[in-house]
This record gives sequence, structure tokens and C-alpha cells, in this order.
Amino acid sequence: MVRGMFKSRTFRRVFVKTPGAETKIHYRKRKPSKAKCGGCGVELKGVPRERPYKMQNIPKTAKRPERPFGGVLCSKCMRKEIVVRSRSE
Amino acid sequence: MIEAGRVCVKTAGRDAGLMCVIVENIDDVYVKIDGQTRRRKCNVAHLEVTDKMLSLKKGSHDEVKSLFESELNIELKDKKPKEQKERPRKQRKSVMKKIEAEETKKKSPKEKAKVKPKEKIEIKAEPKVKQKVKVESKVEEEPKAESKSPEAEEKKSL
Repeated sequence: MVRGMFKSRTFRRVFVKTPGAETKIHYRKRKPSKAKCGGCGVELKGVPRERPYKMQNIPKTAKRPERPFGGVLCSKCMRKEIVVRSRSE
Repeated sequence: MIEAGRVCVKTAGRDAGLMCVIVENIDDVYVKIDGQTRRRKCNVAHLEVTDKMLSLKKGSHDEVKSLFESELNIELKDKKPKEQKERPRKQRKSVMKKIEAEETKKKSPKEKAKVKPKEKIEIKAEPKVKQKVKVESKVEEEPKAESKSPEAEEKKSL
């Protein structure tokens, strides 16, 4: 029997094949939700989906696109924002 | 609208939101830009055109820089050119040994020439016999002291 804490679905289940050709279930913590655009809500690309302790070890340039509003807005929303700002000046 | 001297704002990539000037029309799609952005080829679709114009003649970077300061009040910061340093490279042990051997060969004749005559003169001035005597006397004294002490301790203990 598994431990009581593993009966609920707070942990995700990973099926692992052992050297003895058995499939065993490993319980791992779930990943955080995907990063989304602040304007339109589309899932952002180029933003890794890891737990904070793993994000610490990833370099900053690998965590978001290298452009203004990178990791916050999608590229389309960023363009709209910049066009609006440039026209208002 | 799209012509040399037109001030634009770049809307894509890492230079997005920065002011630039069209320096040259390459074809229908691409232009060459310079300014706050890097001096580079750019797609027209990635530019937001403004109503400002600069009177470019040559289209060199220095000209663009001076016009940006005078007409747009924007100072362009040029990147400092990197000093080229030699890479620290690992050398094989065999190569290192050869280099060391060569260095020692180079050093050794000079050292001999410099150091040896002075020493010889000093040594010749003082007779060598004294040194020998000192060494012999030390050698004689030490074993006696050692031999005496354990015997004396044994006697005491008994």
C-alpha cells in the first residue's frame, strides 16, 4: 500500500520502468501553472515551467525572451503596446 | 513614407521600443537602420514610422549620432571596443617540461658566471679546515649526549 499522503492527487504520478521490467509509480510534486500573457492570456513561449528551486539555477537569459516586456507580454501585445506609446509621443 | 532619413521606432526583437533612422533602402522589404538600435538590416514590417525626418547626407554612424543629439536630444552610447586578450591555454606536460628546461639552461650560465667567483673568494679567505672541524665536533657530541641520557635515565629508574 502507498502512504496515505500519496492517495490524494496532490502529487503527480510518474510511471517508471525498473531494470526488472516492472512499471512502478513514482510520486512527484506538480509543476506550477504555465506563464501567460498579461494582455491576451496566451501561454508564453520561452518561459520554463519549473519549481522555484530549479528556476534559481537557470540563467536569467534562459528564463524569458530578451525583449522589452519579455516574460510578461506575448510578442503581439508587446508590439501593440510599443506602437501605442510611440504614437502618443 | 519609407525613405532615408525617416525616424522610426523598432517594434520587434531585443531593440524594440528604441528610436532609429533609416539609412538606406535595400529593397522593398528591407532597410538599413541606425541609431539607438544596432546598425543593421531590418524588415519594414518591424518598424513604426514617425513623422520626424533627419537630413542625412552620408549615412555614416557618426553623422547619425550627431543628428540624434542635435535634433532629437538623444545621446547615443557607443559600446566600448573590447580589449583582445590572449586565451589562457593549457599546454601539455611534455611541452611545459621542454620550456622549463630551456629556461633553466638560459639562466644557469649567467648565474654561474655571477655567483661563483664571489663565493670562491670568500671561501678561500677563510680556511676550510675550521668548517670541517665544527662539523666533526658536532657529530661527536650529539651521539654522546644521546648515549648518556638513556643510560642515566635507566640508572635513575632502577
